[in-house]
Amino acid sequence: MALRISFHRRFVTATVFFLFCVFVLPAIAGAIWLKVFTSAVIFALAARGASLVYAQLGLVNLAQIALVGVGGWVMLRLNYATTLPFELSLLASAAITAIVGMLLSLPAMRMRGLYLALVTLMAAGAFQILFTAFQFPNGGSGFLGVAMQSPGEMRRPFLARSDAAYLSYCVAVTALCMVLVFLHERGKAGRGWALIRQSEANAMAAGVDVTLFKVWAFTLSGFLAGTAGALLAGALRLLDSKSFPAGESILLFALAIVGGAGHWAGAVIAGILYRVVPAVLNDFGLDADLALILFGAALLHAIITAPQGIAGQILSASAFRRSAT
Amino acid sequence: MIRISDITVRFGGVVALDSITAEISDDVIGIIGPNGAGKTTLINVLSGFVRPEAGSVDVDGLNLLTLTPFRRARWGLSRSFQKLQTAAELSVENLVRVGLDHCSSPNAEKDAAIGRALEFVGLSRLRNTKGGDLNSQQQRMTEIARCLVNSPRIVLLDEPGGGLGETEAEALRTIITDIRSSFGAQVLLIDHDVDLIRATCSKTIVLDFGKLIAFGPTETVLRDKMVQAAYLGQGPGQ
Repeated sequence: MALRISFHRRFVTATVFFLFCVFVLPAIAGAIWLKVFTSAVIFALAARGASLVYAQLGLVNLAQIALVGVGGWVMLRLNYATTLPFELSLLASAAITAIVGMLLSLPAMRMRGLYLALVTLMAAGAFQILFTAFQFPNGGSGFLGVAMQSPGEMRRPFLARSDAAYLSYCVAVTALCMVLVFLHERGKAGRGWALIRQSEANAMAAGVDVTLFKVWAFTLSGFLAGTAGALLAGALRLLDSKSFPAGESILLFALAIVGGAGHWAGAVIAGILYRVVPAVLNDFGLDADLALILFGAALLHAIITAPQGIAGQILSASAFRRSAT
Repeated sequence: MIRISDITVRFGGVVALDSITAEISDDVIGIIGPNGAGKTTLINVLSGFVRPEAGSVDVDGLNLLTLTPFRRARWGLSRSFQKLQTAAELSVENLVRVGLDHCSSPNAEKDAAIGRALEFVGLSRLRNTKGGDLNSQQQRMTEIARCLVNSPRIVLLDEPGGGLGETEAEALRTIITDIRSSFGAQVLLIDHDVDLIRATCSKTIVLDFGKLIAFGPTETVLRDKMVQAAYLGQGPGQ
């Protein structure tokens, strides 16, 4: 019998962690660390999107960072072209990116494993070229909205103008998205995905529309990436076309595996590894690229000893401790 | 009434089913035959996993072959698989609930249907157990409960008795016999266990090398010389 922690207990832990990130973290972090944590939270959200597709369907999508870029592009575009409140632009960016994510699911109807991973990576490469060619909107004229020097300003939500408040805001949005994923996993979608992952034939025989459920997972994953991209646009105010190379998606995906693909905490760990660890190394005066060596070792560790990732190890350790007492 | 007419399936040069024709109106029908006879292929044709080269399957006026596999399932054609594939992290309740996820009926009704199906296969007390913690007999019963939960019209069982012990096989016999009266579905049963076939099926289809070599009342079919020869692996001419 596997060790399991009660739902009640997990809920309490998640809530305490959430409250800590909303109220305590922004209050104690210094100016630079606020930016680091904000970006960590945003990429945790993006990582959840990638890990969702992997944990639920066993499919590898290596275009997640590109989708974050798409979300960011749409957000900046809407910011300068309209006077919509931040929240509406955020939703619109997420929805449009979700549609792009849905299109990425089309190859997944025919391919899986390495082939699908390669196709999504190629798509990420294509986006990288598009971003470089067209840049991100910064308030210029025309559809692309690019000017030599930024004449405009990326607005932040009414409630969260300062960096500290914006960190809380990002945590809240990320938490909402995590709850959305959780509800999917617990409901009809999660049941369908579980059957598909086990055997597509079995799923079909049970009346599961395999195509719809695969598209659904990619769309949700794209929605999360779009939200992350829009939040990133709000955090940095300007996006650089060089910030979304195809290779970064591989790194984020690998870190999502290291963190633990099947759990929200795994995505949080991925976000911390992706953004906080390099910053800490920098702080110690070390080269941030050292992080890559650490990540490589962590990935080996995860593949060899921890299929559920670090989150899985923490969970089973705490379940074990509770069962021992 | 299931009307199978002239179904032919070819895998490359191999004729897996050679213009099979049968009209099925009994409650429980057996499908037997030696390994490679085409039993599972026939089930796959009915459930939509194999597209036949020729022929048609008509159920009460509906041409079944026009529907995709999941639409057949929603229409009321359930099937189990020879190989057990239970999603380890879903509970028994959720494994069964999947069969109802396409219905729009209220939750209370769904819960009641799940309760009834689990009760029928004897798994009520395991409702919240995870799939990964079930033994193979319990997994098999979960699969049968999932087949029954959406009040199907036809249930196809592909070797449900594989690997069961004596008492478990006994329970399975009762379950298969009672499906029509409790859920209203016709059952097509593939199994190698002749005792199970004899105890549950009023009529039996015998396949050999893709050909239907006998179809009739189970006892008559089992006494048939050709059938015995096929099972003993001898050609009818020898």
